[in-house]
Amino acid sequence: MVDIKNENQKIEEKMRNVARDLLKEKKVDLIIGYSEGTLPLASAPVFIRDEQEVDKLVWNNSCYVNLAKYLIPNIRENINGELVDLKVGIISKGCVARSIIHLLVEHQINKENIIIIGINCNGILNRRRIEKEIGAHEITETELSGDHLIVKGNKFEKKFKFNDYMNELCKHCEIRAPPISDSLKDNIVGECQEVDSLEDPFEDIVDFEKKSADEKWAFMNEVLKDCTRCYACREACPLCYCNLCFVDQNLPTWFGKTSEISDILIFHMVRGLHLAGRCVECGACSSVCPMGIDLSLINRKINKVVKDRFDFVSGLSLEKLSPMMTYKMNDKQEFMLEEN
Amino acid sequence: MQEKIIFKKEIPKLVKELTKEYILYAPKNVKGNIEYKRVNDGKDIELEFLNSKVPPKEIVFPRMETMFTYTRNGKNIEIQKSKKVEDKNIIFGIRPCDAHSFVLLEQFFNFGEFKDDLFLNKRKNTILMGIGCNTPRNTCFCTSLEGHPFKKDDMDIFMVDLDDRYVVTPISDTGKEIIKRLSWLVDAKEEDLEKAIELSKKAESMISTTLEIQDSYDFLDSEFSDPIWKEISETCMGCGSCSFLCPTCTCFDVIDEEDQYNNRGRRMRIWDTCQFCLYSLHTSGHNPRDSSIERCRNRILHKFSYYPTNYNLIGCVGCGRCIQLCPVNNDLRVILRKLNEIQKKEEKTIVA
Repeated sequence: MVDIKNENQKIEEKMRNVARDLLKEKKVDLIIGYSEGTLPLASAPVFIRDEQEVDKLVWNNSCYVNLAKYLIPNIRENINGELVDLKVGIISKGCVARSIIHLLVEHQINKENIIIIGINCNGILNRRRIEKEIGAHEITETELSGDHLIVKGNKFEKKFKFNDYMNELCKHCEIRAPPISDSLKDNIVGECQEVDSLEDPFEDIVDFEKKSADEKWAFMNEVLKDCTRCYACREACPLCYCNLCFVDQNLPTWFGKTSEISDILIFHMVRGLHLAGRCVECGACSSVCPMGIDLSLINRKINKVVKDRFDFVSGLSLEKLSPMMTYKMNDKQEFMLEEN
Repeated sequence: MQEKIIFKKEIPKLVKELTKEYILYAPKNVKGNIEYKRVNDGKDIELEFLNSKVPPKEIVFPRMETMFTYTRNGKNIEIQKSKKVEDKNIIFGIRPCDAHSFVLLEQFFNFGEFKDDLFLNKRKNTILMGIGCNTPRNTCFCTSLEGHPFKKDDMDIFMVDLDDRYVVTPISDTGKEIIKRLSWLVDAKEEDLEKAIELSKKAESMISTTLEIQDSYDFLDSEFSDPIWKEISETCMGCGSCSFLCPTCTCFDVIDEEDQYNNRGRRMRIWDTCQFCLYSLHTSGHNPRDSSIERCRNRILHKFSYYPTNYNLIGCVGCGRCIQLCPVNNDLRVILRKLNEIQKKEEKTIVA
């Protein structure tokens, strides 16, 4: 039987050792990682500058924030009156590393300043789903036991099978450690994996695709209507780095900002399209949504289109440009006339 | 006036009666989120709730609200003011912290010569029928903010949950009027009242967080540029979860939407937050709150310094929503403790 707790401890130990060495040998100025949260099913991103503090780093299955978000804008510090770019070591599960790779492809960060501290992620818990199932009660304590998560609260205790309660994206994730390539081998320490071909049947969106246009419309309305437009999804997304988001353009206004369903829909649809061929499926947007909306569905559908049409998966290679950054004469274009 | 008893099985009857005259909002489980929604059937109410995810401020200060509409005829613009909503509302099951938030909201919308009719009208027509918190959450800290899990002063009617029944205490004149009309309510017995007092004490003892808010105030008053703000804001991602779902946050953005093809338009207000990039952006392009340092600081200053200075009230009710919802677990309790620690150290040095 899988022992998740044991797995986590091993990941944590390796990660701390690598981080400690990097700081000790002054290969990095700063480590970005996760620390213990103050609530059950939470973790808090942390910036560590001192090797004595490396033991603050933790790995649990609630490390849902994509730390690549903190790399933009460049982390700078005032050293002797001059702003200097810091060298950053960043604790990276597969999807964090993929974000970094994609940010490099888009020329947003400097390779020289980044050390990817690879870990072999064993899945992130879908905390919103767990919270929703617990309902109105408060979770006061969680505990891993074998391949189960035990959730405790005032007058209740519930057992969840870990594999069933992972994020949907984690369930079929094949890139759990940073994908390594020749051009990146100097930037990765710790765990990594070679990725040749991916078998992603996109089973999680089969049900959605079967729906008629009307049903899809009704479904998306129902999913998105609770959105408060706090933009936590955007802010948590490592690839939403625009200085001014389309929805914040106000001279003149590009898109409606109300919480009417038409405005909500258009925000999420346009954000989805902006992430076409870019989204690395880390699931941070869904994990941070205060209303517990599962936004990854939109990105999965678009990623499937990108995979089918352009045979492209984001964040795997520094050499391959994403379809939206390039143009080929033989790109498929029949959809301009008709889409089934 | 004598306290009454209402049995939980009588809630549908109560709802039926109240909805004849009022629009009733009550906690409802919507896809796993507890929200105050319009209820017509008592069976839809989630009575075993701790607190809602979306605060009930939404009822008096909606996410979006039309201020007026207009039609354009050449150069002539005709403005149609939003109709005065005369609906009478009851918020059933509001918690003491949220009831207190209504007092704070009113300070802002009723400040000096500036009266916000849209808000004040709704507030005037809203009756608060709240329930004390038998089991406060771990993230609750109302007792550090002059609040209490059984604080009843901010409500019209206050109820205490005794498992199968509620002890009902009318507080305001409106509350007394309503209870008088519910003639079928039976009088509470001495033992019910004793149990209510017992529960109140128990609830108070369950709140484990204590914060010295005065220390925070003193710190904020003097340490605007302390390096701690960098530490506090370092991991903040700048989303609006903390303030959108804060019961006391009042900021809004005013937007105009024009439908050029039909020569008409509307002016709306929507929720805004100091965490957003457009929030304090000047027309010159300068933004005095350009980074998360200033934005995080503003949120804390507003609640724990500006509110006490301007209104003599603390701008936080200790509901813990921001703690539960912050995506990076930037815990308000931890932030305040950090500030207090520095303040204590400084006080010591001064004495020494």
